[in-house]
Amino acid sequence: MRRRDLGGFWAGLLIVGVVLWSFVTADVELSRLMSAGPRIADFLGRMFPPDPTVMEEIRKGSAETLRIATLGTLGAVILSIPLGILASETMVSPAIHRPVRIFLAFVRAIPLILVAMLMVGAVGLGPLPGIIAVAFHATGMLAKFYAEAVDGVSPAPVAALESAGAGPLLRLRHAIWPQIAPVVARDTIFRFELNLRESLILGIVGAGGIGFYIQTYVRSFQYDKAASVTIAVIVMVIVIEAINVLLRRRFT
Amino acid sequence: MGNVIDIDDLSFRHDAAAQNALEQVSLRVATGERIALLGPSGAGKTTLLTLLDGRLRGWRGRVSVLGQAQEPERAPPLADRADTGFIFQEFALVERSTAMRNVLNGRLGRMPGWRALSGRAAKRDLDIASAALSNCGIADLADRRVDSLSGGQRQRVAIARCLAQEPRVIFADEPVSNLDPSRAAEILMLLTTAAKARGATTIFSSHQPELARRFADRVIGMRNGRIVFDLPTGQLTDDATAALYDDAVPLPAARLKVVN
Repeated sequence: MRRRDLGGFWAGLLIVGVVLWSFVTADVELSRLMSAGPRIADFLGRMFPPDPTVMEEIRKGSAETLRIATLGTLGAVILSIPLGILASETMVSPAIHRPVRIFLAFVRAIPLILVAMLMVGAVGLGPLPGIIAVAFHATGMLAKFYAEAVDGVSPAPVAALESAGAGPLLRLRHAIWPQIAPVVARDTIFRFELNLRESLILGIVGAGGIGFYIQTYVRSFQYDKAASVTIAVIVMVIVIEAINVLLRRRFT
Repeated sequence: MGNVIDIDDLSFRHDAAAQNALEQVSLRVATGERIALLGPSGAGKTTLLTLLDGRLRGWRGRVSVLGQAQEPERAPPLADRADTGFIFQEFALVERSTAMRNVLNGRLGRMPGWRALSGRAAKRDLDIASAALSNCGIADLADRRVDSLSGGQRQRVAIARCLAQEPRVIFADEPVSNLDPSRAAEILMLLTTAAKARGATTIFSSHQPELARRFADRVIGMRNGRIVFDLPTGQLTDDATAALYDDAVPLPAARLKVVN
């Protein structure tokens, strides 16, 4: 008990230290914060009323974002099935699953926007770099989720099928798959929602989608048009989340 | 006919265990016998049955099941496994699948590969599975998901799966320890009757001497991995069963739980 108390003390000291260090070195000028109010009001004022003439751009942009998220998720699923099995503690030896898990953590650590910038450099502008970036980035999480689903399988039914004379493939099909199917479906839908949210910003670095229009309108001071696109993005996120909630209820 | 099971000097130790789970066990079982394995927890009953079912590696001694010599380091060929059925204490059913699907799983080793993989069973397999469900008195539960069934119903599904497998020998690991006493007798009656009708040999393990008396013709007592008696049911005395449990050392883990 005493050692745990001491651990809490050091953790608290560390947090206070980091906060103080940030305050002292961040170069925060309170006067700038005071004058921010009027400027935000001015900015918001120029966004209203939102310009409804950009419907065509919104339609094109959202369709492309949806395509990027869909194909990116598909790519991630295809990559995550073998990687998920290789990252599983129960299916493969530590010599394999440990390095695969480290690799996946490494993939997760790279921000999507950075991967997208690299891909724009590699394959040029448009939706393709966005799709590749989403597929790569999402695999880091999805393969880990799949591995956890496989590891969460109850071993008894698998042993029962082995005892009945079913080989490894049949055990996978009739004992493991029925157990992991709802988890895999839920995780995949969850990841699709994240992919859609995250791919909204891809247009800013030229990797396709609706973000391109936000960036274009803000840069050219057409705040009313940027406002319309922003509203469209918010609506899209809410709709997808609602669909996700409905779908997830089915997989229990 | 030869013996169903021949065991000589069988010893086995689980990974990282301090003691052998089986210690120089020798045993012969003839076709059609109904045998009860009695003994306290940790006596080696589950280990012995699991080993005979071909799911343990690294044992020492000689083991032969249905005339096939077993190899200590290699799983028996899949073709042979369907001949030995196993009933698990915790049912070991696929919870999200229907009762029918679970019973058909018992047929997987008997189906051609493509049929087994697709899960579309042939009429013959469906008929056998349906008959097994009826035998166990749960024909009306065929389309229910297992996670919606009670403990007794689940154990019936598990027995139906084993019967649908059409095994020549059935190993049942405490098949009724999760059930209340009247249910337990019912289920054991069902199991031993169905096995007898098929001419299958049955070995079941239990904590309860009265169930062994009722449903077995031979009783084997185990303690600390050894066989301590092996008697026709008629010769089983209360002293013999009492000796199995007498001064049984309480598990240290159980003690710690009480203290905390």
